[in-house]
Amino acid sequence: MKLTLNGETLSLDLDPQMPLLWAIRDELNLTGTKFGCGMGLCGACTIHMNGAAIRSCITPLNAAEGQHLTTIEGISDGDELHPVQASWIKHSVPQCGYCQPGQIMSATALLASNPTPSDDDIETAMAGNICRCGTYSRIKRAIKDVADSTDSFQQANASLAYNAKN
Amino acid sequence: MGPVHSENISLTRRGFVKASIAGSGGLALSLNLAGCATTSKSISPDGAWKADAWLEIKPDNTIVFTLDRVEMGQGTYTGLTTLIAEELDVAPEAINVIFAPAEKAYRNPSYGIQLTGGSSSLSSAWKPLRNAGASARTMLISAAADTLQVSPDTLSTANGEVMHAASNKRLTYGSLARLASQKKPPESPSLKTPNEFKYIGKQTQRLDSLTKVTGQATFGIDAGIDTALAAIVVRPPSIGAELDAHNGEELLSKGLADAIVEISSGLAVVAKSYWHARQVEQKLQVKWRDNSAAPSDALVFNLYEETANTDAGNVVREEGDVTTQWSDAAELLEVEYRLPFLAHATMEPMNCTAHIQENRADIWTSTQGPDVAQVAVAKVTDLEIEDVYVHNQFIGGGFGRRLTQDFVAEAAEISAKVGLPIKLTWSREDDMRNDFYRPASLHKLKGAVDEKGNVLAWKHHIVGPALMDWYVWDVAPAKLSWAPKYMYSMLGSIGLMAQGTPMAPADTSGYEGADDLDYQFRNQQVTYSKADAGIPVSYWRAVGHSYNGYVTESFFDEMAEAAKKDPVAMRLELLSESPRMRKVIETLADKGNWGRVTPNGVFQGFAAHKSFGSFVAQIVELSIRSDQIKIEKVICVVDCGTVVNPDIVTMQMESGIVFGLTAALYGEINFDEGAPRQSNFHDYQILRMNEMPVIETHIISSDEKPTGVGEPGLPPLAPAVANALYKATGKRFRSMPFRLNA
Repeated sequence: MKLTLNGETLSLDLDPQMPLLWAIRDELNLTGTKFGCGMGLCGACTIHMNGAAIRSCITPLNAAEGQHLTTIEGISDGDELHPVQASWIKHSVPQCGYCQPGQIMSATALLASNPTPSDDDIETAMAGNICRCGTYSRIKRAIKDVADSTDSFQQANASLAYNAKN
Repeated sequence: MGPVHSENISLTRRGFVKASIAGSGGLALSLNLAGCATTSKSISPDGAWKADAWLEIKPDNTIVFTLDRVEMGQGTYTGLTTLIAEELDVAPEAINVIFAPAEKAYRNPSYGIQLTGGSSSLSSAWKPLRNAGASARTMLISAAADTLQVSPDTLSTANGEVMHAASNKRLTYGSLARLASQKKPPESPSLKTPNEFKYIGKQTQRLDSLTKVTGQATFGIDAGIDTALAAIVVRPPSIGAELDAHNGEELLSKGLADAIVEISSGLAVVAKSYWHARQVEQKLQVKWRDNSAAPSDALVFNLYEETANTDAGNVVREEGDVTTQWSDAAELLEVEYRLPFLAHATMEPMNCTAHIQENRADIWTSTQGPDVAQVAVAKVTDLEIEDVYVHNQFIGGGFGRRLTQDFVAEAAEISAKVGLPIKLTWSREDDMRNDFYRPASLHKLKGAVDEKGNVLAWKHHIVGPALMDWYVWDVAPAKLSWAPKYMYSMLGSIGLMAQGTPMAPADTSGYEGADDLDYQFRNQQVTYSKADAGIPVSYWRAVGHSYNGYVTESFFDEMAEAAKKDPVAMRLELLSESPRMRKVIETLADKGNWGRVTPNGVFQGFAAHKSFGSFVAQIVELSIRSDQIKIEKVICVVDCGTVVNPDIVTMQMESGIVFGLTAALYGEINFDEGAPRQSNFHDYQILRMNEMPVIETHIISSDEKPTGVGEPGLPPLAPAVANALYKATGKRFRSMPFRLNA
């Protein structure tokens, strides 16, 4: 089975029913994507499929055949952080940090499709991501900050689109 | 027993650790840097200088700080690094932080074991880490003075260099490391005064943000060794049920799993990946023998009620004589509060990679107690605690859950039985249903007010389990690490019996936050009765304060109403001897516009609570929209003494508030004949972004010594909500979680 992960085309010989989360973590050794609930309830496992946020813990491998996947490891451009990551640092979002890769993947997908989200848009897009440390206010602030500086965002969006297509 | 627990560090060559069994202060351990004399051997062949347990300076100018309090979100990685950086005179960002192995040098001076909890990290590190930084800096200056043939007084430091202004010469710390290692550590290194601080009170960016936003941060669940096989445990459906029969042999004969072994807590399945192990679980047929004594919720509270009615309890605080007051009361209140069991629900499920070999054990995990983990491994293997090497990682949420080392013991037991390294991962369901829960408790309150509105008497009787009853079995051996294994259970028993004697501290978890109210009630009695229904319990964020703060501050508002007084004004009246709490309350009343004319349908509630040395007060503004409680805004004021990192203090207030809101609105674990009813985030809800209030935090400026911030933000939240709900509905909310239609 073939799929594209972070811009690289992979050929995998795995159980097609295996959830993407475990293929990514255990077979491909990319551990930035986290296991939280196994039922699509907490968002810790969020990745992109063709640019849209999906819960990798409930998405089987065969649903990704021929698709373009991006994980937290694939959103920065070399050493250059994605503006959402940079904004996360600026607003000191992470505490324990375990849920943050999933939060960032949800936020980047939101901004890619809606560069100037309203508060309601942000809450709707982010309500599927639980943070037990309670960093929600800072997440919202960090997202709005990126939305307000559209230049850097558009560049990053272009690179995400590139990743999704290549 | 050899004292060496890590590859790099030898305790014997550093003479500064004094373990002492103190006559009156319990089993204390004091760190004494001033006594450090044997420094010449602190240099390694490659010229790296290990100045003390925490600090290493290498010739290439790399500075390594061994962080001995774990990072689980609360900010030790940044805060403690800032302390040592300040006195060493290097930027905190220039320091490489590594996590401490399990070793006596890294014990928490507050507890005598190496645990992170009780919001103690910064306060207990405040002096030792600054001393460590200052001592090393003094020795580096002394080395530079020799090198440059000038007086130490003419030298200054900045950014990891010693400078001689007159000659404009600079020497890096790295180049001075070897010579500095020969110097005698100063008896009492001089510390900076607050006006000299470059980083303390100013540092705002967290040092662990970059690694956490890139997905590079390694948590326990990400750590281990490539050769480890995946392991899961199939667990009993209810507390105390025992394994009866299973078809593991049959599945093994079909080659479906690498191993299926019975362990203390259930049936372990070992396979090539987590997913494969779960596939095998679906084919497993397991029969359990139920524990007929397993309790349901109703039975727990029946036990508590019966205890409350038959046991007067231990008096943990007494002033005046409450019993003489009841007949004189103009208003007499007698009410009951109840709190449920709560799960910790850390985002990172419990996990542990264990590699048990003949002579050593390697453990990769996220633990709040590395030396307690050593005990857990020693108990289930043939190894001694000094054979156990704990490789601790970033922690995806602790909140007290990772003080208990059951997941480490499980992993060790599985690895020992199958003879292979294994990586154990719990499912969310395992995590929710096999927690050591925040205990349920029952509170009987009685209060009397005279006709002038004076409080005549305050009586609080608390009933619930004692946490040390559960924790002592691993803690006592960790504390008395010289003891041979055959003594472990005896040590636990002694630890239990000796509570409150000079040998062991009293277990205050049941009544903390109830017995030290600053209100000057003329007649006051607080009593505690232990009652344990057999449901595993442990520490939780602000544990005792989480229930006693709610109960006392809610009941205070009931008393204020009986006294026909404004609840904030009455708090201030009764706090004339507590200037810090008064200031927090006055500041909050001002910043939070207490008593303002709120928009239609918005109601204010107020609460204040002291915990872990810090004073916190909160105003909650809420509304009720289509039968749902909507928390609009929380205004928070905190006095935590000297602030090392203002933004981390703010973060921790926000974090405690959100944790408290989840408990107030949703938190409840119920048991049906020993089986937890909740299993995942659909039935154990966690507050989400769309439910977030606006949170505004104000920090009182202070020169007092720093106190806790990880937990103190939580206790005032629930009573502030309850007090606002009373205004909104006319109903008192005397049990949690708060339900409008209960």
